[in-house]
Amino acid sequence: MDGNASAGDMEGQHGTPHQKAENKHEEKVQDPDRGEDETKAEMGSKTWADLAGEMKTFLWNPEERTCLGRTAKSWGLILLFYLIFYTCLAGMFAFCMYVMLLTLSPYTPTYRDRVSPPGVMIRPYLNGFTIAFNVSQPSTWQPYVDSMHHFLAAYDDKVQEEKNIECISGQYFIQGGNESEEKKACQFKRSLLQNCSGIEDPTFGYSKGKPCILLKMNRIIGYRPGAGVPVSVSCKVQKGNESNLRSVDFYPGNGTFDLMYYPYYGKITHVNYTSPLVAMHFTDVKKNHLVPIQCSLNGKGIVNDVNSDRFLGRIIFTLSIGK
Amino acid sequence: LLQKKSNVYSVEIYGTKDLEKTEIGDEEEKYKDLKGNNKKKKAEDLKKELDLEDHKLSTSELEEKYGTSINKGLSSARAAEILARDGPNSLTPPKATPEIIKFLKQMVGGFSILLWIGAVFSWISFGIQLAQGSESPFDNLYLGVVLAVVVILTGIFAYYQEAKSTNIMASFSKMIPQQALVIRDAEKKELSADQLVVGDIVEIKGGDRIPADIRLIFAQGCKVDNSSLTGESEPQSRSCDFTHENPLETRNIAFYSTTCVEGTATGIVINTGDRTVIGRIASLASGVGNEKTPIAIEIEHFVYLVAGVAISIGVLFFIISVSMQNKILDSIIFLIGIIVANVPEGLLATVTVSLSLTAKRMAKKNCLVKNLEAVETLGSTSIICSDKTGTLTQNRMTVAHLWFDNQIYSADTSEDQTTLLMEGQKYTCYKLFVLLCIQRVVVGDASETALLKFAEVILGDIMDIRARNKKVAEIPFNSTNKFQLSIHETDDPKDKRFLLVMKGAPERILERCSTIMINGKEEPLDSEKAEAFQTAYMELGGMGERVLGFCHLYLPENEFPDTYPFDTDSMNFPTSNLCFVGLLSMIDPPRSTVPDAVSKCRSAGIKVIMVTGDHPITAKAIAKSVGIISATSETVEDIAKRLNIPVEQVNRREATAAVVNGMELKDMSLQQLDEILCNHSEIVFARTSPQQKLIIVEGCQRQGAVVAVTGDGVNDSPALKKADIGIAMGIAGSDAAKNAADMVLLDDNFASIVTGVEEGRLIFDNLKKTIAYTLTKNIAELCPFLIYIIASIPMPIGTITILFIDLGTDIIPSVALAYEKAESDIMNRRPRNKRKDRLVNQQLAVYSYLQIGIMQAVGAFVTYFTVYAEQGFLPSTLLGVRVDWENNAINDFEDSYGQQWTKYQRMYLQWTGYTAFFVSITIQQVADLIIRKTRRNSIFQQGLFRNKVIWVGIFSQIGIALILTYGLGHVTALNFTPLRFQYWFVAVPFAILIWVYDEVRKLFIRRYPGSWWDKNMYY
Repeated sequence: MDGNASAGDMEGQHGTPHQKAENKHEEKVQDPDRGEDETKAEMGSKTWADLAGEMKTFLWNPEERTCLGRTAKSWGLILLFYLIFYTCLAGMFAFCMYVMLLTLSPYTPTYRDRVSPPGVMIRPYLNGFTIAFNVSQPSTWQPYVDSMHHFLAAYDDKVQEEKNIECISGQYFIQGGNESEEKKACQFKRSLLQNCSGIEDPTFGYSKGKPCILLKMNRIIGYRPGAGVPVSVSCKVQKGNESNLRSVDFYPGNGTFDLMYYPYYGKITHVNYTSPLVAMHFTDVKKNHLVPIQCSLNGKGIVNDVNSDRFLGRIIFTLSIGK
Repeated sequence: LLQKKSNVYSVEIYGTKDLEKTEIGDEEEKYKDLKGNNKKKKAEDLKKELDLEDHKLSTSELEEKYGTSINKGLSSARAAEILARDGPNSLTPPKATPEIIKFLKQMVGGFSILLWIGAVFSWISFGIQLAQGSESPFDNLYLGVVLAVVVILTGIFAYYQEAKSTNIMASFSKMIPQQALVIRDAEKKELSADQLVVGDIVEIKGGDRIPADIRLIFAQGCKVDNSSLTGESEPQSRSCDFTHENPLETRNIAFYSTTCVEGTATGIVINTGDRTVIGRIASLASGVGNEKTPIAIEIEHFVYLVAGVAISIGVLFFIISVSMQNKILDSIIFLIGIIVANVPEGLLATVTVSLSLTAKRMAKKNCLVKNLEAVETLGSTSIICSDKTGTLTQNRMTVAHLWFDNQIYSADTSEDQTTLLMEGQKYTCYKLFVLLCIQRVVVGDASETALLKFAEVILGDIMDIRARNKKVAEIPFNSTNKFQLSIHETDDPKDKRFLLVMKGAPERILERCSTIMINGKEEPLDSEKAEAFQTAYMELGGMGERVLGFCHLYLPENEFPDTYPFDTDSMNFPTSNLCFVGLLSMIDPPRSTVPDAVSKCRSAGIKVIMVTGDHPITAKAIAKSVGIISATSETVEDIAKRLNIPVEQVNRREATAAVVNGMELKDMSLQQLDEILCNHSEIVFARTSPQQKLIIVEGCQRQGAVVAVTGDGVNDSPALKKADIGIAMGIAGSDAAKNAADMVLLDDNFASIVTGVEEGRLIFDNLKKTIAYTLTKNIAELCPFLIYIIASIPMPIGTITILFIDLGTDIIPSVALAYEKAESDIMNRRPRNKRKDRLVNQQLAVYSYLQIGIMQAVGAFVTYFTVYAEQGFLPSTLLGVRVDWENNAINDFEDSYGQQWTKYQRMYLQWTGYTAFFVSITIQQVADLIIRKTRRNSIFQQGLFRNKVIWVGIFSQIGIALILTYGLGHVTALNFTPLRFQYWFVAVPFAILIWVYDEVRKLFIRRYPGSWWDKNMYY
């Protein structure tokens, strides 16, 4: 049987602090429970002052030199124990994590099933998917323009020419060799975006009420979109009058993501990789009106009609262009 | 059995007078006690019972008083009037708590209040989010609903469990509607007893229950069994004569619910329903407060502890979260998560199930538990106040010893009497037995039945012997001559003599004898032989046995020819100079299982106190024979006798045993009683009235003991109620006793109590294991929230997922622990000290929370990080991402490899993380379940496969997890996703670690008892 019962005689009353030496420690361990019990059992007959006194004794018992029911030595021992215990546990955790990380490749994640098929994002992105501005008030569209310029800085023709190579259009740019070898990236020059490049019209059409919006496909390592046929982009009014969106121009090409930009080889080896973009030039959108637009990717293997994920292969945003 | 009618045969020591005094005294004490309980008004009511005058009134006065007529009875119209005024003649059942209150109590009791708070917070945050136009506010609405549903379901479950166990008793207390034969409108009618009113004339006959308090106006050979009222088991005769001032003592009143044993009687109903004497006592019992059961206190303590931890951690992290500049709303959601993670939602239901499983098991062993919580109370019992008659003894007189040929022979007193005596003695034996068995046998008389049974065992068919020894005359027993005599023809056809046989009080019989039969020969009864007789008589009497003497005489044929007209009135036959045959003594022997049971109680540290209305000598004899007073211990009186000094000079401390007479008890102060209870380990209270039982129980409770009381009479019900656990006798018990008790012994057997103690202790141990098991994973559920807040990682486990662990996978395993066998001899340790040995002690909480719980959390986090890392989010990336991760607008969230994720893809990954965390906890809970099988022994000592239910638990746990992951993995609302198979094994090393660590812990505990390790690690 445990030590408790042998130490605690049935007749043992509260407040008999002088125990035999070997029982001393244990008695104290029991103290908090005891105090609580007493409190409950005799709540009616006890004043708050008594309770406070008991609490105080529990916090610091000058007679036995115990704090929270333990002496300094006892606290020391128990803290030492937990120090060792948690150190060992942390060691085991670290070891397990280390072993786990060893099994991972630094270049390719073990599984890519959760991240594909790709999602879609647009630029400019400020804080939400409503792009609303008044043509006559530059302050309303200037943030969008700034955001575009900032985003496209990496696509400056100079930067691209400096860092990346020209690739053969119309086919996947497959780079064999060692996994750890640095991979080349294909140029995606800003100028490819033509009217939406911000070169000729630094306001990306916002000042004219014909905004450009850039669409990019999420990067997935090793993913080859379209299975040989370039993925294209199309836009339509999501809900409401189709005539609210009369014409959209796509750059480059007919709004396709060229195959040469795929596959992506990951952050470490594919350092200079720049995601290809499709610019959508909304040249004729009903003004002074909220126009919800859904732009989707079309191609083999692209999923764009899942209800739960509204950014999977498509994106929905609202245009509201005022005069 | 001996008490009041001890005037019948021998062992007359104190006489009846002091007994009467005791009883009157007790009445007073009862009232005193009532006042002590602040029930003054009731006490006043009860006093009125003493003012009852009806027994003093003459018949005509009675007729006048109640407006009735002895011959015609009441008119139906009048009766209906009175019925409308007084209400039906039945006891108002104890005020039951309305069902709705009981139900609501379940709804807000325990952890429910915390969960309600969680639900309300969820709804509030839902409201705020909705007002802010947030995108997915419904999550919180659902969460709130789920929490509310959880509370309601567990509440309904607990309510149902309680109702079920109450129903067992309800069926028990339901009585067959009693009928009464009433004279109304000058006609005899059979009426349902509850229709009786004051003034009704009722007729009763042997076997009936008295339908109300009645004043007898005619009685013939009427005897009533007042045992349920006074505890006296000897039937008492009733007549129409006013014999005593005290209405309880007088013979012309019969009380409601007592039984008429024989004869017939007619009487006027003077009190009905709750105004009857029994009714008053029953309402007294309901006035005695119901103490909280020890297990209820323990569970409350545990709930406070867990709620305290939950609230303090919740509030602490709420503050941390707010000071980390999280939105208040988010912080509230964290708070809900922390509460839900901390509260073991399923635990209280599990405890209820475990208790009811034990209750069922006990019911099989003849202990019917009325109140589920009482299951454990027996286990903590440190004092049992037991009745003697029926509980410790067989409740039937049995021949125990014989004395003839100058020798004492003992008979077999076990339940299935076989035989007994040595062969060579046949002749005398035979004579003796013939004498016995041919006597008149009255059905129901305990002594006669004992003799008959005895003779039957020895001789076989008694009817045949009786027919051959035709009885020609008889003088029945009466209290003046104290003998019974009969004259028979002998079974020897050649022998024309008549045989006169006589039995009775030994000294009276001996007076009439001049010879004694030794070895079949009549020898003169000289002083030496008379001395031998005296010694034997004293010896048998000293054993507390009821002794009978036997003698016989063959009447000379010439004086008493065939046709001799025996006249029992004039006694025209010799009644002296008879031949003494021998002595026979009877006792109500202890049940054969009792001595063993008492010694088990002893080794279990339980003090068994005998409280009986019986004679001290008998009580002591039985106490000695069952071991309540052990062979070596002495009372003060014994020591005095041995040392030949006056009682006063004996050092009271030397005496371990004490026999306290009810008379002494009456004069004792509470301090003196306490002293007796403290200083003597073996105590017998004899000649106590049932009211004194209450005082004794209170005395024991003052010592801090958990007291079990057995009882069967109505008068026991206050004591039964007062006791921590009242145990009523299922066979002999009155309904009032059963109502007041927490437990009913279906076989009236003391040994069943021991089984109860064993089961109670086992369930206490097993509940510890269950709670330890359940609490452990709470830390593994809580840590994710804390780390989520502090390290801003994606949420590792969802609130709904936690509920699936608490109420899904963990339920069956934790119930399975209730089937665990005891680790060591549970009956070899002292009862737990209710102040110190808590159900959930510091060690248990600390070991579960800070050791195993943390291990589980670590194991689960390894799985969590593995799942994320293998999908592209290395642990280093995960730190601090929470805000962006949860941003709905960011749909190109970059992982460690440069891939980009939409919000939903991240969410889906997060749910995979939930599932992985869930699976890891489940896997580690399997290890936890295995280690919790024992607290001290190695699992291999306990046997891994002995408790099959554990395996049912393990398989159910894994089965449910499989169903949730793969079956419901596509129901997005539940946040489970199908999980890659290998993730099930990531936490296995930690499961093994838990097992190994716990084995090491137990090894050290066994190896170094009393060490620092033992003190800190043994829960």
